[in-house]
Amino acid sequence: MSLQPLSVTRFVPSILSRKSAEDRARVSRWFEAHAADRVIKFASVLSLLGLWYFGAALLPASVMPAPHIVARVLLHEITLPRIWINVAITMTRIVFAFGLAMSVALVLGFAMGLSKTAARFFDVWVVCGLSLPSLVLILTIFMIVGLNDRAAIIAAAIPVVPILTINIWEGIKNVDQKLIDMAKAYHADRRRIIGSVIAPQIAPTMLASARFGLGLIWKMVLFVELLGRSDGIGYQIEYYYQMFNMSEVLAHALLFLLIMLFIEIILLGKLERRLFRWRPIQRRI
Amino acid sequence: MANAASIEINQVSKVFPGKGQSAGWRALDDATFRVDPGEFVCILGPSGCGKSTLLNILSGLDDQFEGTASIHGRPVGKRNYDAARIAYVFQEPRLMPWRTVRANIEFALSAANVSSSQWKERIDRVLALVELSDFGDFYPLQLSGGMQQRASIARAFAIEPEVLLMDEPFSALDELTARRLRQQLLTIWGTFRSTVLFVTHNAFEATFLSDRILMMTKGPGGKFCDEIDLRELARPRSYEDVRVFETSRTVVERLVSHIGSLDEH
Repeated sequence: MSLQPLSVTRFVPSILSRKSAEDRARVSRWFEAHAADRVIKFASVLSLLGLWYFGAALLPASVMPAPHIVARVLLHEITLPRIWINVAITMTRIVFAFGLAMSVALVLGFAMGLSKTAARFFDVWVVCGLSLPSLVLILTIFMIVGLNDRAAIIAAAIPVVPILTINIWEGIKNVDQKLIDMAKAYHADRRRIIGSVIAPQIAPTMLASARFGLGLIWKMVLFVELLGRSDGIGYQIEYYYQMFNMSEVLAHALLFLLIMLFIEIILLGKLERRLFRWRPIQRRI
Repeated sequence: MANAASIEINQVSKVFPGKGQSAGWRALDDATFRVDPGEFVCILGPSGCGKSTLLNILSGLDDQFEGTASIHGRPVGKRNYDAARIAYVFQEPRLMPWRTVRANIEFALSAANVSSSQWKERIDRVLALVELSDFGDFYPLQLSGGMQQRASIARAFAIEPEVLLMDEPFSALDELTARRLRQQLLTIWGTFRSTVLFVTHNAFEATFLSDRILMMTKGPGGKFCDEIDLRELARPRSYEDVRVFETSRTVVERLVSHIGSLDEH
């Protein structure tokens, strides 16, 4: 007698609202997975800060200022227009250099992925490009083009091209021939095969390459600014380094790091998740 | 031409070219057969006897062969869009993982130039036939292997094919799932009456499914060596039916007498 109400309340909702129960279970599983993720990430950032403080405690403040000192300098800097002008200059160079590197790498990567002859031909170029130190490439381009913005953009783009080319090439080689055969067996025409079968398979590689390329390019741009420009964040960092002002050096680096992290994780990461919802998710039936 | 064949294969041979001096691999040797409209024919043979090569030729994926192959009187070919409406179920589901089940079927429908006003109705119908009505909006990777293969069967029937080619579609599944799918396949075939050419190395499967079994010898140079008519075996057939079981034993015996042993299977 006393058991009956219990079993009814247990049983009835599981049938009537199976769907919502499932949804709830999915949400809590998602939360669980992501909560663990967040905790680990938080701990990771904290320990990084801890390491920095540890280094600051060992070394003199002029060499390794503590995080809160750098943060104070940065907070002051961002109230002045100068740092933002430099950020804008550097960002512009990054945009152009990234566009240039991506376009060249796309052409080369596609050519190598689609033609065996092209693959054999450009293979040597790519290997040479990978082995040449970026410094040599950058100085050579400055010598050829001159100490101007055009040179800076080309110089930042060229060293990244070989790595991106390899990435894109691999992505194209990995296209699943079986799906293409399926499409052909169902009499899909060429346009449909390229648009609906091949492009979606290369998209993940393209996006990964873009993220990877952006990460490389912005470091390269700072390097190029340091070597041959008199403005931009890279130049500022060099300038303050000459003044032995490490707080300013780190403050500039930190601001740029935060901006790039924002672009990388928030913008591109979101785009990636949106585009690739179909990837193996939390549950199978 | 009073009784046009649905599928007609005439003296078809296929040699995969070898590298350098090697002679190459003779996958098919002088194959000849015909399949009538609406017939369910199984090609039964050991691995490597050229069964899949034959389907690739018929589907137009492979147009490097000797002899003639035609479907509904029209020669097959890589870009023969006038050819009869053909569907292909592969050994693996071959669904596009970035598209939902429904969108995967839509791809086949659009490739077959079916007007989009019919899509929803057709998809709902075939999904119901393979018991996947609730899963149209799922992505393939969210489904089990058996469900994925059912989705690929739904895709095949969605275009209402005149000819359906099937390449060991159940061999990667566990036996219980495979049994259910075989039964479902026969039910669906009963409603559509497509011509089916089903390739398998499983004698029981061939017996259970087909009107006629064409047997092939071992490769290289697989040949058709025997034919068994099963139209006497009443449909619908069931797994418990003793007659199906006993017929399948005769089929195995005949297969063994042709290829020597069944070591591989």
